[in-house]
Amino acid sequence: MLTWLIWFIPLLPFVGFLLNLFVIRQERQAGMLASATVVASFVLALVATVLLAGLPEAERRVQSMAWEWIATGSLSVPFAIMFDPLTAVMVLLVTGVGALIHIYSIGYMHGDPRVVRYFAYLNLFVTMMLFLVMANNLLLLFLGWEGVGLCSFLLIGFWFERKEAAAAAVKAFVVNRIGDAAFILAMLAVFSNFGTLNFYGMEINGRWVPGFLERMPEIFGLRFGPDWQPIAIATGISFLLLIGATGKSAQLPLFVWLPDAMAGPTPVSALIHAATMVTAGVYMMARTEQLFAASPATQSWVVWIGTFTAFIAATAAIAQWDIKRVLAYSTVSQLGFMVAACGMGAYAAAIFHLLTHGIFKALLFLGSGSVIHGTHETQDMRKMGGLRTAMPTTFWTYMVGAAALAGVVPLAGFWSKDEILAHAAAYGYWPQLAILFLTSLLTAFYMGRQVALIFYGEQRDNHYHPHESGQTMRVPLIILAIGAIVAGFMNIPTLFSGMPAAHLLTDWLQPVLHEEAGKFNLVVAILATAGAVGMGYLGWWAYTSNAAKVKVGGLDPAYRYTGDIWDGMQEAWYVDLAYNRMVVAPFRSFSATLANVFDKQGIDGMVNGVGRVFTWAATEVRMLQNGYVRTYALVFTMGAVLVLSFMLFVTR
Amino acid sequence: MVPTAYYILLSAALFAIGVLGVLVRRNALVVFMSVELMLNAANLAFVAFARERLSVDGQVLVFFVITVAAAEVAVGLALLVAIFRSKRTADVDEVSVLKG
Repeated sequence: MLTWLIWFIPLLPFVGFLLNLFVIRQERQAGMLASATVVASFVLALVATVLLAGLPEAERRVQSMAWEWIATGSLSVPFAIMFDPLTAVMVLLVTGVGALIHIYSIGYMHGDPRVVRYFAYLNLFVTMMLFLVMANNLLLLFLGWEGVGLCSFLLIGFWFERKEAAAAAVKAFVVNRIGDAAFILAMLAVFSNFGTLNFYGMEINGRWVPGFLERMPEIFGLRFGPDWQPIAIATGISFLLLIGATGKSAQLPLFVWLPDAMAGPTPVSALIHAATMVTAGVYMMARTEQLFAASPATQSWVVWIGTFTAFIAATAAIAQWDIKRVLAYSTVSQLGFMVAACGMGAYAAAIFHLLTHGIFKALLFLGSGSVIHGTHETQDMRKMGGLRTAMPTTFWTYMVGAAALAGVVPLAGFWSKDEILAHAAAYGYWPQLAILFLTSLLTAFYMGRQVALIFYGEQRDNHYHPHESGQTMRVPLIILAIGAIVAGFMNIPTLFSGMPAAHLLTDWLQPVLHEEAGKFNLVVAILATAGAVGMGYLGWWAYTSNAAKVKVGGLDPAYRYTGDIWDGMQEAWYVDLAYNRMVVAPFRSFSATLANVFDKQGIDGMVNGVGRVFTWAATEVRMLQNGYVRTYALVFTMGAVLVLSFMLFVTR
Repeated sequence: MVPTAYYILLSAALFAIGVLGVLVRRNALVVFMSVELMLNAANLAFVAFARERLSVDGQVLVFFVITVAAAEVAVGLALLVAIFRSKRTADVDEVSVLKG
């Protein structure tokens, strides 16, 4: 039954996409249909998960092939999806959070002239994301990978009349291409070494084809490259996959597209750029865990990239004024936590943090959307302040989300972040632990700052009258806030011996990730939560007591303590500027040379030259035709004389 | 009997006069007359050779030339009248509107 049931999970949103694209023309119908298909997918995913849990642990992987997608030579790629514990939690996150964001969008996008197209894109995105997490081979995963990239492009540039939105869409697409190119190379390497792209063994046309993840020992010890510096095959493949993940999951050095992606509608930021798409890289690394585990070299790269990204993005998040850019850098930072966890081998912790982060970051983004909506498209936090009385629901749910992100006991973010820190402590990643701990303190600080700037103090700009958002926007906020409170309990550590319902998620993922539950580290937990509360309070205190100094064009109150460092943080340590100087500007000037010099003088010169030759020749030749009949007669006679003399004297 | 060469010489002389007439005269009517002269030079050559070779082919061809020339003169004179009506002159150099 599962084999056909799981097909409906991605196909329902796809039907919604087709209907929205071709049939539906009314805003209300589009929103209802789009939301209904995703809610139905979520229900089906719940049913499928329950059915999967009913199977014995060793058999919890259902694969279903629709047709043989590509069959050329030895390459055989089935169009097949699967459902296993890891896929199950990802599907539940995508459809669950996705459904709430669809419903929220009905309220948020009300009155937009292209709202039907918006819902069509949103449905296509959910379809592609589901194919990404349900694919049983790398190529179908790549289809979803590119599909979500396309939807991300379309939705960032949804308000394409705004120049920065169009530019941000292009930027996201181009930066992701770098990672995608590495991903393609990784696929080629996997195929040339294993002859298959399937993750796990499955029956294709009555023949059992083993998957490459089960055949890892075959490449142990294989090397390539020059004699003086051989590189293990596993390192090559996993490193390429890592580059792919840095593009999609916005890690160093390719994170620059994510803050700009905030030019899209806020629900899009919540769905694509916080909760689901950007986690695809982390999911992919967890899925190909055996490949990464085979290469300690890549693993150390993974852990350091994740750690540095977490820290650098957290510092950048502190110094932003735009409400959504704070959250964007915060997302990059939290993704860094997940990637670092993957690098330490704590895949279950990474997936746990992915799930809780998906919930509370979606909550924060939707909350910020509610603020933006209620303040008439104000995004600058310097123009806000004192909004807690005007929008109480938004305020309280936002507080829950902020506390969860900061890691306050017992909200979701605390348990998942603590698991990563505890793992780092348990396996001796001390420098990384120190940086990640510092990062979690910074996280608490910038959330305290943001809450203070938005909701406390006096309203600093009186050009608008803030109002609470409507029902369709408030209900998803409340549901997500409840989720942010309770989600941590799905993988709560064993606090006392004999505690029931501990490590549910790690145990559930055990057949896929083969990981034992980590131990609870009381010292780390106490330090982290004390630090979170302290730094959160510090951030809140610093910006409520100095609220009068916050104004457009003025310096941040913290500027006098940090000085130039603040400028660096504001520009995310000039990574974007460096790219502009080193890549974009040379490319632009090269293009300008081609356009102004080579095209104008080379190509145009050639074409115009040909034209000029014919014009000149024509002016010369037209002299022959002077209109005098007697001239023609003379020429004719001379011709006749010539021909006759030729016949007479030469050819006789 | 007059030798054929005399006829041919006369024919060539007539033809040369006709060519010169076409090339140097500007009055369209004279040009036409010169064309006729060339045609008749050809006719003379035809009949001269026909007589020498005792064949009627040349003589038959002469009748064709005469009919075609008549038709050509009819068309040509009609054109001449038309040109004269529009230009008030029969000078061929005045009719040079088709120059490039």
